[in-house]
Amino acid sequence: MSDRNFRDIFTGAALSIFGFWFAWYSIANYGRGTLEKIGNGLFPAAAAILLTLFGILILSSGFVTTAAKSEFRIRVPFFVLASVVAFALIVRPFGLVPAIIACTLLSSLADLKARLVGLTVLCVVLCGLVYLIFRLGLGLLIPMINWPF
Amino acid sequence: MDTLANVALGLETALSFSNLFYCFAGVCVGMLTGIIPGIGPLTAIAVLFPLTFYLPPTTALIMLGGIWYGAGYGGRITAILLNIPGEPIHAVMCQDGYPLARQGRAGVALMLSALSAFIGGSVGILLLMLFGPVVADFALQFGAAEYFALMLFGMVVASTISQGSIIKALAMVTLGLMFGSVGIDIYTGVPRFTFGVAELTKSISLVALAMGIYGVAEVVASIRQEEEIGKIDMKGVGGTAARPTKQDWKRFWPSTLRGSAVGSFLGVMPGAGTLVATFMSYALEKRVSKTPQQFGKGAVEGVMAPESAAGSAEMTGFIPTLTLGIPSSPSMVLMAGALIVQGITPGPALMGQHPDLFWGVVMSFWIGNIMLIVLNIPFIGLWVRMLQIPYHFLFPAILVFICVGAFVESFSPFDVWMIAFFGVLGCIMRWAELPAAPLLLGFVLGPQMEDNFRRAMLLGSGDMMVFFQRPISCVFMILTIALVPFIIWSAVSEVRRTRDPASVAVNS
Repeated sequence: MSDRNFRDIFTGAALSIFGFWFAWYSIANYGRGTLEKIGNGLFPAAAAILLTLFGILILSSGFVTTAAKSEFRIRVPFFVLASVVAFALIVRPFGLVPAIIACTLLSSLADLKARLVGLTVLCVVLCGLVYLIFRLGLGLLIPMINWPF
Repeated sequence: MDTLANVALGLETALSFSNLFYCFAGVCVGMLTGIIPGIGPLTAIAVLFPLTFYLPPTTALIMLGGIWYGAGYGGRITAILLNIPGEPIHAVMCQDGYPLARQGRAGVALMLSALSAFIGGSVGILLLMLFGPVVADFALQFGAAEYFALMLFGMVVASTISQGSIIKALAMVTLGLMFGSVGIDIYTGVPRFTFGVAELTKSISLVALAMGIYGVAEVVASIRQEEEIGKIDMKGVGGTAARPTKQDWKRFWPSTLRGSAVGSFLGVMPGAGTLVATFMSYALEKRVSKTPQQFGKGAVEGVMAPESAAGSAEMTGFIPTLTLGIPSSPSMVLMAGALIVQGITPGPALMGQHPDLFWGVVMSFWIGNIMLIVLNIPFIGLWVRMLQIPYHFLFPAILVFICVGAFVESFSPFDVWMIAFFGVLGCIMRWAELPAAPLLLGFVLGPQMEDNFRRAMLLGSGDMMVFFQRPISCVFMILTIALVPFIIWSAVSEVRRTRDPASVAVNS
């Protein structure tokens, strides 16, 4: 247990810095205009200023409250997000099937409970389902397999 | 008598073979898209849009409408079983539906919410039929100032209902407003916050944002939970466990009717619509409940009321679309578009010029709702069985469908990248205990809110008092301001509570 709520302090600081930057960027680039003829930047800037204020409130409440330390484990989010990124990288040049297989295998590394046989079956089932729903069902002309070279 | 003649005309139109067929096809596709995470009704409507060129306008609208409310029925299945809202409107359903599923009462939650949605839908259709013209007249008085005031009120109310800190919820609403302003400005055509990225000019994809913040972050959290808590007990889910208890039934009618009332009213307002209706009815239930501490931990009212509100709002949402020509949501925009392509302009003249279209479509909604409840209740066991698939097979499947869904929305990997971005944000938000639902609300309403604000200020010659000079707008502004002391009070009491070392010890 820590004597300060560092999570809220960090959160509040991050939100208010982002809000402040966003408000500045909005006014500087898109203009404030007048109240009658409002500029492009005013509404986003107003929202951003409110965010800055709420961020400061969260930050200051972090100084007076206490909270248990919460840990942020990295492995699970890393592999889950990596599987999404892998899909994004592979789908255009190589087509859907390799992207689906990469996404399935990478994400399964997040908890390592599935066996190889199970994963193979899962890949086949998922590719089949996607083919049935999107290619046959919805009639979308997305390439299942592509060879760019 | 006039109404009866119209109903007869409507039934005659709706019961023709081809209209029945496309109604059935629509609700089936809708259900499927609602169940499969990653493809929402918007995607399905967009994909099937070209098909409507080959159909008569009434049939086209019947089918697209079927997808729209069918997805509502399907979406709550994933919300309850997997904690993944198929659409933003199901975010509230997750709050109590998922805890119910974890307690082994998934069957009950599905059954009661299906019935609630049906009753809400019926109430909505009844209102659409009987009071359609009257309610449209009321909404006709709304100007930009009223819309702005209503949206502001909706956002503040929505923030007060989410779990945890109100200040954090308000911060997330404003962050949502900021994300919503990314893209081309509707007034001047200037791209804002795009940083030279061409894909961002058409604004951030709602699918990518929702799937990243909810879908990906939920997968990450669920894998962790499974490691820590172990497996969910599967035994209490099927068979007789799906039968609601006497107590559930006692709670059913009051909260369903309250939800229908809230939903019917808010569904009429463009911009407010289904999303705010679900949030508001949830807030109302929590307020009138004798056991508000149960909410968020598996209260049946928390599933029934928002579901009936969604059901009725989905129906009354057609009032502004069909009678005023103001679509209340992106899906409604596409439906109005389908009519315009056919040379029919949705607006006040529609009901007089094409009574068969208006009444036929309205009656088909009822038939579609009956089809849905028939498809739903006998197959609840089938949906519940989805829970028995081990999570280590389910979560790669969820991720694949999220990715494919985002990819086919624009046929570009860009939205998949956006999912990764919002997935990171969603994980950080979970760690920081920042709620995601208010962010989504702000994001969805933001552009319309800015539009109405700018229009109101233009019409009011730059005088802020314009929001208080018009009676309807003034009421909403005063209600919003009245909430401020409550927000301050609950923020202060929350700080007090976490300051007390005893309660921290209990929490940790």
